[in-house]
Amino acid sequence: MKIILVDDETKFINMLARRLSLRGLDADVAYSGEQALEKAAQTRYDIAVLDMKMPGMSGLALKNKLLKKLPDIKFIFVTGHGGVDKNGNSDLSEEIFLAKPLNIDTLIDTIQQQIHPHK
Amino acid sequence: MIRTPQMLQKQEWLAFLFHRHNAHLASFHTFSNYPRIWIISIIILAVTSLSPLVMATLINNRLIHKSVDSELVLQTDRVTSNAKRSVRFFLEERLNALRFVVNELPYYSLIDNEHLTKILINLKLGFGGFTDLSIIDSDGSQVAYAGPFNLEGKNYKTQSWFKQSMEKDNFISEVFTGYRDVPHIIIAVRSQNAYGRYYLLRATLDTQRLMDTVLSYKSNFHTDIFLINHTGILQTPSTNYGKIFTPTQIDIPAFSDTTQVITPENNKDKSYVVGYSYIATEAVTTPFILMVHKKKSEVMGTWLNLGKTFNWIIGFCCLVMMVIITLVSTYMVNQLFLADQSKAETMLKMEQSQQLACIGQLSAGIAHEINNPLALINETTGYLKDLYHYKDTPRDDKEIIELLNDILEAVSRCGTITSQLLGFVRQFDVQISSVNVEQLITGILSFHKKETEYKGIHVTTAIAPDVPDIKTDRGKLQQILLNLINNAFQAIEVNGCLDITVSHLPPNTISIEIKDTGCGISEENLQRIHEPFFSTKKERKGTGLGLSITYGLVKKLQGSIRVESSEGVGTIFTVTLPVKLQKEDEA
Repeated sequence: MKIILVDDETKFINMLARRLSLRGLDADVAYSGEQALEKAAQTRYDIAVLDMKMPGMSGLALKNKLLKKLPDIKFIFVTGHGGVDKNGNSDLSEEIFLAKPLNIDTLIDTIQQQIHPHK
Repeated sequence: MIRTPQMLQKQEWLAFLFHRHNAHLASFHTFSNYPRIWIISIIILAVTSLSPLVMATLINNRLIHKSVDSELVLQTDRVTSNAKRSVRFFLEERLNALRFVVNELPYYSLIDNEHLTKILINLKLGFGGFTDLSIIDSDGSQVAYAGPFNLEGKNYKTQSWFKQSMEKDNFISEVFTGYRDVPHIIIAVRSQNAYGRYYLLRATLDTQRLMDTVLSYKSNFHTDIFLINHTGILQTPSTNYGKIFTPTQIDIPAFSDTTQVITPENNKDKSYVVGYSYIATEAVTTPFILMVHKKKSEVMGTWLNLGKTFNWIIGFCCLVMMVIITLVSTYMVNQLFLADQSKAETMLKMEQSQQLACIGQLSAGIAHEINNPLALINETTGYLKDLYHYKDTPRDDKEIIELLNDILEAVSRCGTITSQLLGFVRQFDVQISSVNVEQLITGILSFHKKETEYKGIHVTTAIAPDVPDIKTDRGKLQQILLNLINNAFQAIEVNGCLDITVSHLPPNTISIEIKDTGCGISEENLQRIHEPFFSTKKERKGTGLGLSITYGLVKKLQGSIRVESSEGVGTIFTVTLPVKLQKEDEA
């Protein structure tokens, strides 16, 4: 299982990648939407953890672009805006959101559920 | 402090005088000096309503005094001429009686004492007032006498009255005492005997009769009526001047044989008038001047009393009106104050809620700004914990120190944000401190750092090197800039520009220009943007108070604000502020 983490907060995303790898999860990092797309061209990722707000390309824009390259990829969104108001926005109604700061166990559980939804 | 609605409803009497002064609240009042308004309103009302009353009273008093004066003159004139006629008649009658006697009877029968006594008795019966009669020859010796005094053989040659009476046909003397020590008047007629020699028929008159005649015209004790001679000596007793023969200090009036009424000049408050007439009979002038002094007070007592009563009533009315005017003014000004106060309180609440709304708008950005370092702290500490949990060799000092530094850095990032937030602690009263405009702008822009990045907004700040630190209210300036910059950010589309230019306009003004390439404001809206509750932002996004409050704040900082905008191109707000804010009471 290959994971890609995308956030403009470089230190945060690096640390998250290290912690995931300590738990036996293989995570790549990208610091922007463009970088993520480059990496997706080379590697087949199963799941992407995206920050909602990033300079240039937002998380949602990136999702649509990644889906074109990797149709089977799953998404988890991370946001610094506390709770996210999903009501009334059909684009977001299906998505999984996690608030910063993240609980590592919740993140791993969510990843597992996305990969193996029937478990 | 904000008053609670309960406090507001308690409509205190004289609240405008005794309310607790709150400079911030007062700045929202329409009128500032309520005691002054109160006093002016009382004065205006009092002057407009009382002056006609006072005028009417004055005119009325003048009329009363005038009519009293003319009435007094009239009365005095009447009394004087009546009394004069009586006195003249009294003297004339007696003089004519003597004339009749000398014309009727020959000299020889007159010098017969017995005959003379008979004549005296007849005169007393016919006219009264005669005391005695005597015949005096041209040498001054008394040749016959009839009367109660033993004056036979007396010689009057040296007496002045004798000399005077020998010079003309008729003579009337002053009142004098003579040989007999009793006040009397001499009247004498001159005639010629059979030898062609002059002789006098002299009669003395009882002064009591004359006094009675004069006094019979004295209607009351406010009238003084008396006779004086040409040198001012009293000839009859006077209420004012005393007994008979008392010299008076009266100015002897100019001769007039008709009745005259004058108002003496030394008579300051014109409290009396003087009527006079010289008494002159057809045959002879007399030494008498008839004087009538009539006092105004109580002669016209009714009139004056009426006037006085009228004045009291008017005075009382004025007092009542003053009380009503004062109460009404106080009530009105108080109501005005209370209305103004509640308006000011509403405005104050609006300002506060706008401030809260403004901070609310910021909160999303702030949450993001704080959550990012928090997330980093979370992951880093989590990783440190993981190092102990998953690795047997946790003592990798270099890595740990690096991680700890990351945490510290993230904490200080959070600290910066919170300290900037604390800068928005509300300060309502103007508190002057030295403010660096550049730092203030940088602080506000830092709240929008992420937004700038996401939207790709190009922000430039150009601070002219000669811009001094300004003395002003930090909190208010911060809110002004925050409002304007927030508005700019909301208007700017992706990849827009925000240019903030601060320049110094010597000698003592600075200008802050905030220029955005946003949607701009249409011309019709431009007229209304400073109105409260005017908003083009739909659905809860704006209170419509931001710019109205901003305009108010700029005014409080003694500055001005100007806006230029063209739809679709952008908007420029220019705030001009004094370098040194004058305190309100100095300004």
